[in-house]
Amino acid sequence: MLAYIVRRVWQMVPTLFGVMLLLFVLFNWVGGDPSYILAGKNLSAEALAGIRQQLGLDLPLPQQFLIFVRQVLTLDFGTSWSTQQPVSALLHSRIGPSLLLTGSILLLGTVLAIGIAALVAYLRGSVTDRLVTLIATCAMSVSALVYIIAGQYWLAFKGGWFPIMGWSDSTLDNLLHYLPLPLLLGVIVGLAPDIRFYRSCFVEELSHDYVRTARAKGLSEPVIMLKHVLRNAMIPVVTSLMMSLPYLMMGAMLLETFFGIPGMGKEVVMAVERSDFPVIKAITIYIALATMLFNLLTDIVYKLIDPRVQLH
Amino acid sequence: MNQHALLATLAALVLLPAQAADMNKVLRVALNAPETGFDPAKVSDLYSSTVTENIFDPLVTYDYLARPAKLIPNTVSALPTISADGKVYTFRLKPGIFFAADPAFKGKKRELTAADYAYSIKRHLDPSIHSPWSFLVDGRFVGGNELVKAAGKGTLNYDAPLEGIKVLDKYTLQLTLTTTNFNFLPILAMPAFGAVAREVIEANRDNTNAHPVGTGPYLLKEWKPGSRIVLEANPGFRKLVFNATPGNDPVDKAVVQALQGKTLPQVGRIEISVIEEEQPLWLSFLNRQLDISGIPQAALQSALVIDPKDPLKVRLAEQYARQGIQLQRQLLPEITFHFFNMQDPVVGGDSKDKIALRRAIAMAFPVSETIASIRRGQAVPMNYIVPAGVAGHNPAFRGTPKYDPAAANALLDRFGYRVASDGYRTRPDGKPLAIELACGTSALDKQWNEYWQKTFDTLKIRLSFKQGKWNELSKANHQGKLQMWGMAWGADYPDGENFMQLLYGKNAGDSNAADFKNTDYDRLFEASLKLPHGPERNQLYDAMNKIVVAQQPWIFGDIRMRSTLAHRYVKGLKLHPLLGTSWRYLDLQK
Repeated sequence: MLAYIVRRVWQMVPTLFGVMLLLFVLFNWVGGDPSYILAGKNLSAEALAGIRQQLGLDLPLPQQFLIFVRQVLTLDFGTSWSTQQPVSALLHSRIGPSLLLTGSILLLGTVLAIGIAALVAYLRGSVTDRLVTLIATCAMSVSALVYIIAGQYWLAFKGGWFPIMGWSDSTLDNLLHYLPLPLLLGVIVGLAPDIRFYRSCFVEELSHDYVRTARAKGLSEPVIMLKHVLRNAMIPVVTSLMMSLPYLMMGAMLLETFFGIPGMGKEVVMAVERSDFPVIKAITIYIALATMLFNLLTDIVYKLIDPRVQLH
Repeated sequence: MNQHALLATLAALVLLPAQAADMNKVLRVALNAPETGFDPAKVSDLYSSTVTENIFDPLVTYDYLARPAKLIPNTVSALPTISADGKVYTFRLKPGIFFAADPAFKGKKRELTAADYAYSIKRHLDPSIHSPWSFLVDGRFVGGNELVKAAGKGTLNYDAPLEGIKVLDKYTLQLTLTTTNFNFLPILAMPAFGAVAREVIEANRDNTNAHPVGTGPYLLKEWKPGSRIVLEANPGFRKLVFNATPGNDPVDKAVVQALQGKTLPQVGRIEISVIEEEQPLWLSFLNRQLDISGIPQAALQSALVIDPKDPLKVRLAEQYARQGIQLQRQLLPEITFHFFNMQDPVVGGDSKDKIALRRAIAMAFPVSETIASIRRGQAVPMNYIVPAGVAGHNPAFRGTPKYDPAAANALLDRFGYRVASDGYRTRPDGKPLAIELACGTSALDKQWNEYWQKTFDTLKIRLSFKQGKWNELSKANHQGKLQMWGMAWGADYPDGENFMQLLYGKNAGDSNAADFKNTDYDRLFEASLKLPHGPERNQLYDAMNKIVVAQQPWIFGDIRMRSTLAHRYVKGLKLHPLLGTSWRYLDLQK
């Protein structure tokens, strides 16, 4: 197991290098020139050249890439080009609200989706199953934006059950006051596709021979579902969950924008709009690192769930 | 109007710190886009400036009530004396004005002096700062160019003597300009020229955007970039008592009634949220989570009852009027226009056929339709380079050609733009005629594009769109790769020069995005610089506008009307064309 982990960690090095190279090429190709934003109304050639020099954009590209490599090795991405704030401080202040929002959505959404999916899979072919499948299919065809706009209007403005938007420095205040509506809408948006996916995982497991054997042995349905089916169906479920974990860091851009949550989603949008490369670099590298780490963690969890899985 | 302007005035009675603001009064407002920071020499976006104007004090400011905008002393005891040749401005500061407390002052009270203004103005010349406002001061001060040249790409030597920016004594500042300019004062009223303290800047050299320390009514309490800004009343702010005589505007009477004799500011805390989406902004206002707000485009029809015959004649919808919501409106001191790249081989140049092509496009563009549909009637056609409310505006001038697609087609026929067998026009030399228009990627841009497509279809000219982010398109324009693009220019200061310079030949490749070079225009512009605002300069401006109408480097667009709403309990609100906010004049009486 240890050798496997060490080997996987080593494999991350060329992957990360590839990500850096791709990001660097893409930014220099289509990323836009930030000097035109920073110059404001002063677009003289001298002003633009001065800003490019200050940002290091006048350096040869290989030298700029080496600076990028050094930033990744030290995890110090310097300061934002647009606000001059240290990138680490910006991300530090943004990560908490994002994780609180997306983490809650993931947790609540997963529990609800697995529960409902297991139930309708168990009742496969029944009216309940067909109704849930129909509702889920319809719900999936509606844009997330519609849920957010309608939810904010009817539940917060018309109903008055939630604040329209806002965020506080107090986690408790956020949990009780500002988080519930975006959480509810985030769960609603993700619930339908998750139910359909998990249902298909459960249905597939229920059709296996070992389930028939278990029934033939006289095991009760709850035992079959909870002890056998659920455990085997967890492999695709865990894969889906673990793959989504790194993206928790990215926040939920639409929810953050509509509900005034100072998270990473808003920061990403701002950075792209302003061609703020240090922030874009930092977020991309952290997401890449998290993706690779969670991939490794997923493999390890496979082994824990099913000891028959061999890690090579 | 001028008489009114003279009557309305603010007086600083006693220069003693006297905290009058009620810290329980919290004003909640929103910015429509993220700010970038609060170093006045480093930021130029509107959103950052709304904050900096409440933290820093420029030498002069604007009378809150007077219209047209009128300059009044701010930290100076009187408006400056200006030499007969319009070159030497001498300011006398009021003693006893102090900066907000900061660790850089080591526990001592730090008085504002003339040296602070000298330092703050010089920062805009500093090559290492890259001030977005340097174009307003470059080459303006005697000896300035030499000092900048000596700095090279490094830091300006702030201690070197500079004839153009001289501290005569602790409270006296003398600015000596290289050329006659009677209209320089409004530049110094901009928030960008507010006073900073050198020791604060040097102590926070790496992050001056996050450490604004000024002498203004508010100080920065909290900043979460792009999300939330909190200002609190500066406890050391000088005693400033509101004392004004109302003019004819009924709003003036309400303002005076609410504020007369009160010490400013009244509101102790201002919470500013960045809300970019229209729905949460609008619902937050209606739900009283915001005290003041603009009206989003989508809500205009429901918030306002618009007279179909005269869309600028509006009143607040009944359900909002019943709640006592206040509506205030004003034309923005700005212009919008589409420019042609005058160096482009297809649309640029001085030849008659090129002028005819540009004129035909201008004649076929339905400005009235776009105002009605896209602006929902809340704009007026632009007819002069200098907008209303800015010194030099001529309301009688009609710069937009009459909408006449048939005449536009006839003009193209006359100058050899023939319709080929494929149904599209060719150039006079027989080559295909195709024009590319640069545009953004938003839904609003797509609405505009529909009208442009219709215009070009009417003229039987092939049109394509080059979509991109603003900075990408701006770079492409600098490289001469664009043929047409739309722009807006808001007044930095209320003087015609700020607008007329947009077509000055020496600004080609900079603020002159069209690369328009016309010797007559340039000669007239240079002559206008030497004149104070008045009939003589206005004649020159008229002549320059005629050149622009004749050459058509621009298609004049429209000037937007701003509508602002405030709840019943917000007192003292009056929109100002140049002050970005009214916060220091507001009171909340819930």
